[in-house]
Amino acid sequence: MIDFTSTPIILTVILGTIGMLIPVINVARKEKGSSVYGVITLGALLASIGFVIYQIVTKQITQSAIFSSNVLVDDKFGSFFAIAMLIVGIMTTVGSFNYMRSRANPAVYYSLILLSSIGMVLIAYSTDLVMLFVSWELMSIPTYVLAGYLKKDPSSNEAAIKYFLFGALSSGIIIYGISIAYGLTGSTNIEQVIAGFSHLSPDMMPLALLAVGMFIAGFGFKIGIVPFHMWLPDAYEGSPPTIAALLAAGTKKAGFAAALRVIIMGAIALNLHWAFALAVIAIVTMTVGNLAAIRQRNLTRMLAYSSIGQAGYILIGLSVAPISPIGIQASLFHILNHSVMKAAAFIAVAGIVTTLGVTHIEKIKGLGKKMPITAFGLTISLLALAGVPPLNGFWSKLMLFGSAIDAGHTVSWAPYLAIAGVLNSALSLAYYGWIIRKMYFEDDGEQKRVKEPKSVIAVMIFSIIFIVGIGVYPDPIIQFAKSAVPIMSGLPAIH
Amino acid sequence: MTNGLIDFILVSVALLAIGIYGIAVKRNAIRMLFGIEMVVNSANLNLVAFSRYIPNSQGQTFALFSIAIAAAEVAVGLALVIVAYRMYRNIDIADFRSLKG
Repeated sequence: MIDFTSTPIILTVILGTIGMLIPVINVARKEKGSSVYGVITLGALLASIGFVIYQIVTKQITQSAIFSSNVLVDDKFGSFFAIAMLIVGIMTTVGSFNYMRSRANPAVYYSLILLSSIGMVLIAYSTDLVMLFVSWELMSIPTYVLAGYLKKDPSSNEAAIKYFLFGALSSGIIIYGISIAYGLTGSTNIEQVIAGFSHLSPDMMPLALLAVGMFIAGFGFKIGIVPFHMWLPDAYEGSPPTIAALLAAGTKKAGFAAALRVIIMGAIALNLHWAFALAVIAIVTMTVGNLAAIRQRNLTRMLAYSSIGQAGYILIGLSVAPISPIGIQASLFHILNHSVMKAAAFIAVAGIVTTLGVTHIEKIKGLGKKMPITAFGLTISLLALAGVPPLNGFWSKLMLFGSAIDAGHTVSWAPYLAIAGVLNSALSLAYYGWIIRKMYFEDDGEQKRVKEPKSVIAVMIFSIIFIVGIGVYPDPIIQFAKSAVPIMSGLPAIH
Repeated sequence: MTNGLIDFILVSVALLAIGIYGIAVKRNAIRMLFGIEMVVNSANLNLVAFSRYIPNSQGQTFALFSIAIAAAEVAVGLALVIVAYRMYRNIDIADFRSLKG
C-alpha cells in the first residue's frame, strides 16, 4: 500500500525524527548554547534536499501524474515544491543562527521549523484531501507558535493572535469545503473527487461551486489573495523577521501547492468562468499589494505588502492554466524564484534587526557603507523581485506575462493580465528603488562599518549566487518546472 | 437527498453560520475561539452524516483526524491568549493595536 522507500516517507522520517529529537537533546544536555541545535536542523534539511535531488537523478520518478489512489504520490510536482520549501527552510535556519543566539528556547524554535517543513513538503506530495488537510495543519500550527515566539514582545503576540485566528478560521473553512466535496462524491481522494465532480447532475453543481469556493477562500487566506489579506502585514511585521521569511517564502508557497491541486478540481467543476474570476482576483491582488506597499515606512511591512503583490503575479499563471500550456510552468518557476528572493530579503532584514535594531526605512540610511554585504544581498533580491533583466525574477515574470499573452488567442481578456502585471512591476520598482536609494545614496553621518553576522552573510552569498546564476542561465530550472507540470490529459475535457 | 440527511445538513449550516457570526462580531479572543470550534464541528457533523448516508467510512475517519487537529489548534490558540492576558490583563482583540500601517 505505502511504499516505504518513496521520497515523502523518507523525508518525513528524516525531518520528523530530528525534529522530535532536538527537544529531547535539549533536556538531556546540561550546557547552554543554541548553535548545536541549528547545526542539527541544518544537517537534517540538507540531508533531505540531497535525498530529493538523488531521487530525481537516479530513480525514474513519475512524471507528475498528480493523481494516485494512495494518499501520497512520489512525483516531480511534489519534488519541485519539496526543493523550494527545503531551500526556504535552510535559509531560515541559517539566518536564525545569529538571531537566536541570545534568545530563549532555541531547541523548540528549530524543532518547530523542522515540523513545519514536513508539513510544507507533504502538502505538495499529497493526493488525498485528508492527507492534504493534515499536512496543512502540520505546517500551520508550528508557525502560529513561531510567530508569537518573542513572548515578552506585545507586537509578536499580537501578530501571532491575528495570524492564529485567521489561520484557524481558514482551516475550518477548508474542512467544510472538504466535507461538501466528500458528500457529493463519496470519496476524499482528489482523483475520485474530480471524477465525481465531472459526472455531477446539474442541480448539484452549485454545491460543487460552493466547495471549490471554500477551498479557494481557505487556501487564499494563507496565500494572501486580496479579500483575505488583512492579517498578513500585521503577522509578518510582528513576528521575528526570520519567521516572516518562513511565512512569506514557505507557507505561502505551500498554499499555492495546495491551490494548484484544487484549481485543477475547480477547472472541471466550474468550467471556464472560474478562470476569469481568478484573473480578476489576480489583478486586484497585485494592484492592492503594490499600492499599499508604497505607503509603508516599515521595511518588514513593505516586504509583506510586496509579497501580496507577488501572489498576484503567480495567480496570473494559475488563471490562464486551462488555456495556455505554459501557465502552470511559469507559476512554478516564479514560485521557486520568489521563495528564494523573499527569504533573502527577510533574512537581510533580520540581519539589520540583530545588528542595528531598526526596521524603519528612514533609519537604514547609509546601510551600503555600514553593512555592505547585507545591503548588496537585499538590493539584488529587491531588484529580482521587481523583475530587472539579468536576474531570475525577470525570466519568471516574462514567462508569466508571456503565458497571459499566449492565452489571448483563445480568450480576449487574457492580455490585460500581462498589461496589469507590467504596470505593477513598474509601480513596485518605485518602492524597491526607494529602499535602495536610502541604503546607498543617503547617509546619516555615520560611515563606520559594523560587524555583519556571519550566518546572514552566508545566506546573502547563497541567494546572490542563486538569483544571478538562474538569471544568467535559467534553462535547467525552466526545464525542471516544465517536467513538474501536472499532466492534464486523461481528465475529462474542460467545458 | 434522503429525508434524514437534510436535517443534519441544516443543523450543520446553522452551526457554520453561528460560528462565522461569532468570529465576525465578537471581539473577545475566547469567544472567537468558540466561533472557530463551531465552524470546525459543523464540518465534522457534515462528514459524519454523509459518511452514514453514502455509506462508507472515510468521512468518519476524517472526522476523527479533524477533531484531534482542532484540539491541537485550540491548545496553541489558548496558549497565545494566556500570553496576551499576562501582557495586557485583557483579551479584547480590539485593544491589540500596536501593529498598524
